[in-house]
Amino acid sequence: LITVARLRRAVRRETIGVDVGGALNLVGALIKYLSAAALFPAAIALGYSEPVWPFLAAGGVAAAFGWGLERATKGKERIGAREGFLVVALTWLLAAAFGALPYVFSGEAQFDRPIDAYFEAMSGFTTTGASILTDIEGVNHSLLMWRQFTQWLGGMGIIVLALAVLPRLRVGGRQLMESEAPGPEIEQLTASIRATARRLYLFYVGLTVVEIVTLSVLGWTGVDDRMSFYEAVAHAFTTMPTGGFSTQAESIAAFGTASQWVIVVFMLLAGANFGLMYRALVRRNPRVLGRDEELRVYLGLLFVGSLLIGSELASEGLETGEAAVRHAAFQAVSIMTTTGYASVDFNEWLSVTSLPAMTLVALMFAGGCAASTGGAIKVVRHVLIAKALRRELDQAVHPEIVSPVRLNGAVVNERVLRGVISFTLLYVGIFVAGSLALVIDAARTDTQVTPYEAIAAAATTLGNVGPGFGFAGPFGSFEQFSDVSTGVMTALMWVGRLEIIPIVVLFTKNYWRA
Amino acid sequence: VKIFVVGAGQVGMTIVEALHGEHDCTVIDLDRGRLAAVSARFDVATFEGNGASRRALREAGVGDADLLIACTSRDEPNIVSSMFTKILSPRTKTIVRTTNVEYLEIWQERLLDVDFMVSSELETAHAISRITGVPAARQTDVFADGQVQMVEFDVEPGTAAEDNDVVGVPLRLAKIPANSKVASIIRGGRMILPRGSEAIAPGDRVVIIGSPAAAREWSSIMAHEKRVDDVVIVGAGQTGVAAARLLLEQGVRVRLVDSDADRARAVAEELPGARVFHASGADPDFLERERIGQARAAIFAMPDDAQNLYAATLAKVHGVHFTIAVAHDQVSADLFEQAGVDVAVNPRAVTAEEILRWTHDPRIRQLAMLEGDRYEVLDITVRETSDLVRKPFKELPMTGSLIGAIVRDGAAFFPHGDDQLEPGDRAIIFTESSRVPEVERAL
Repeated sequence: LITVARLRRAVRRETIGVDVGGALNLVGALIKYLSAAALFPAAIALGYSEPVWPFLAAGGVAAAFGWGLERATKGKERIGAREGFLVVALTWLLAAAFGALPYVFSGEAQFDRPIDAYFEAMSGFTTTGASILTDIEGVNHSLLMWRQFTQWLGGMGIIVLALAVLPRLRVGGRQLMESEAPGPEIEQLTASIRATARRLYLFYVGLTVVEIVTLSVLGWTGVDDRMSFYEAVAHAFTTMPTGGFSTQAESIAAFGTASQWVIVVFMLLAGANFGLMYRALVRRNPRVLGRDEELRVYLGLLFVGSLLIGSELASEGLETGEAAVRHAAFQAVSIMTTTGYASVDFNEWLSVTSLPAMTLVALMFAGGCAASTGGAIKVVRHVLIAKALRRELDQAVHPEIVSPVRLNGAVVNERVLRGVISFTLLYVGIFVAGSLALVIDAARTDTQVTPYEAIAAAATTLGNVGPGFGFAGPFGSFEQFSDVSTGVMTALMWVGRLEIIPIVVLFTKNYWRA
Repeated sequence: VKIFVVGAGQVGMTIVEALHGEHDCTVIDLDRGRLAAVSARFDVATFEGNGASRRALREAGVGDADLLIACTSRDEPNIVSSMFTKILSPRTKTIVRTTNVEYLEIWQERLLDVDFMVSSELETAHAISRITGVPAARQTDVFADGQVQMVEFDVEPGTAAEDNDVVGVPLRLAKIPANSKVASIIRGGRMILPRGSEAIAPGDRVVIIGSPAAAREWSSIMAHEKRVDDVVIVGAGQTGVAAARLLLEQGVRVRLVDSDADRARAVAEELPGARVFHASGADPDFLERERIGQARAAIFAMPDDAQNLYAATLAKVHGVHFTIAVAHDQVSADLFEQAGVDVAVNPRAVTAEEILRWTHDPRIRQLAMLEGDRYEVLDITVRETSDLVRKPFKELPMTGSLIGAIVRDGAAFFPHGDDQLEPGDRAIIFTESSRVPEVERAL
């Protein structure tokens, strides 16, 4: 608010260095095009003879708003690198608002608080998967599919989608995409950023289609009776973006063993580097997989996590045999890739042992690989920080040593390294502040929130994971949180999805100065 | 043979010194004083002019030259000299000296119309790595794609037979490593042919021909030292980096020191295997902190001779066993060794040697210069018509030459009295320079 006041004064004095008009113009255009997404659930609603108008109304409102914003700022279409941060931040805020409209218009009782609808939409676009719904099966097909679809749209990024489809974004595209894409640097697959965005999106679409087909086959062949075509589409839409929303209250526990294993594999793929997979699969150069350090650490962490959880489950007698392996692997993969599905209510393990839960909380901070749809800190940043720390130790003993940090043999730019370290510090700082805010608000409103639950809720929303512990567990709901806490977690999801810097930078004085 | 040498600097001088006796040499240089110095010392023609000018080359008579050696200290004029010579006379062979490894790579890809190219930096690095690979060796040369090595050792005064069963024992009784031969014993500047009754004495210099494994065995016999496995290189210029790369390839631990921050950074990025320090090799605190004294060998490859000598001496004081310093000036090279540097390497001498190797009989693939110009090693393919073919060695007359190794069907072996030469064999022969034409005729 202070910033806004200062901003207003600065605008009056014309010392502002950011072309707000240009930024708003682009945001308006993006929202206008995004409004077309409402047609998909509208079609579903027609098919199931459910009310169509909430989607058409939401799309209409968004289109009119976007068009209006674009008109109001006409003549300022050129934006530079600096405006990119503002564009990305605002686009995601407004996209979530658009996403919330169908929930509000539907009159569904569970969305009676507007902040809850906004939370649900933000959780959708940011691919978090945390939900305020307490009775998921009570919501109709089209609204549930809209919920799944927002995750699929958000997974690869709204702006990456726009970059791939809209001709207008050609200028400043790289910077925009960098602000939105996960990981410290984007690896360009082709000379033009637009072609890169297009290829990544096609690859993403391709993997989604493969998953839909695989799951449908399980349903048709009778291997998994509950996996209908609708469910296959709904769950492929939230696996590939590492989203985690499900149409079932019991998440993936509602489906059979075979479906669970298939989903483990696709979560694993969704958390891996898309650029790397593209080169390995489409360009047929699978050797790049073996040489990638991040991938090795990613798989290694998943293996160790699954092993810890599985052996504890077996030794405590909570699960046995294949079920122990499956549930350990499923939970570890789901949480580390920041998907947020559950194949079992891991909340219940807490009454017996805290080891699996603690392992899962630790994995929430690991995240997926760079250029994946996963959230949190990302494996590559952990790898780079470990290397930078090892160098610091080396330099403590050998002050004159010159040793560049390398990743996959290539020297990592010192600026990138500094960026990685600052990002991680900010991430931890915001996580701590977020947990504190939740606990303070719980004390204010007299809600029962244990420190463990507060920590898990902050980590799960900032990392775009999904489930927490306690009442917000995998089969639970975030509905019990107060309006303020819900708002805090909505902000955490937004900040976490855009990887902090593009948003935090908006709160610095030098960003706005000429 | 008509030879043109462009550039009358140190390299040119060394080349002329070696070639003027048998060949018809013309030296081209822009500097009249240098030309006067060359013609005062040797019986050669001189031409004052720019070797990179077509007119000057034509006037000097390059058109009917057999060989042009462009060995000024500047790369591009050398390449241009070669290009113009090929235009004036396509049959003329050209040799170009370069300091740029990239030009060398382009030449190796056959994209430059030059018959032979030599990089001073790379040759120096090779010389250094050879010296460190076999620490006691004064000189190592490889023949037949590395299957045959010729190594020259100084037998330390005070070495006794009790230590190794080789020194002081008649050669026919001495426990000489398998697949090797003593090619020569140099005692007091005279070469002695190693007959069975002869014994190696402390203070001698011996030349060994043998397999790489045998050369290493000799090295451990002569040196009482383990193979160098930890090397410090001071000066990360082209020579230092090239030497570091060669040593790293051999599995040696390399520490590189350079006082220039940008260069240290660039080298650290280029050589992932090396430990790079941004420091001065002349800083005693640094040497102490990094325990440089514990290194088995230190190489000094800075551009300034005086700095190299100072840093090498300091390293010796800190306890480094073996120091190798680059001496850009022949005068410094002699001074270095007197001042206690173990080996001084002169890049220009190394370059001249490499160029001279190539100028010999095309059948001779390599040749090493030992003891100045007095002894040579020849690598000759035996003709069908040779008188020496198919006669056991013990029946051949003893001359000033020795067949050290024979390469037959791609494999090397080290002949004994009962073996004989076959046509098509490659013979590695150690001989006095004066006998080279005689040996070439005989085979």
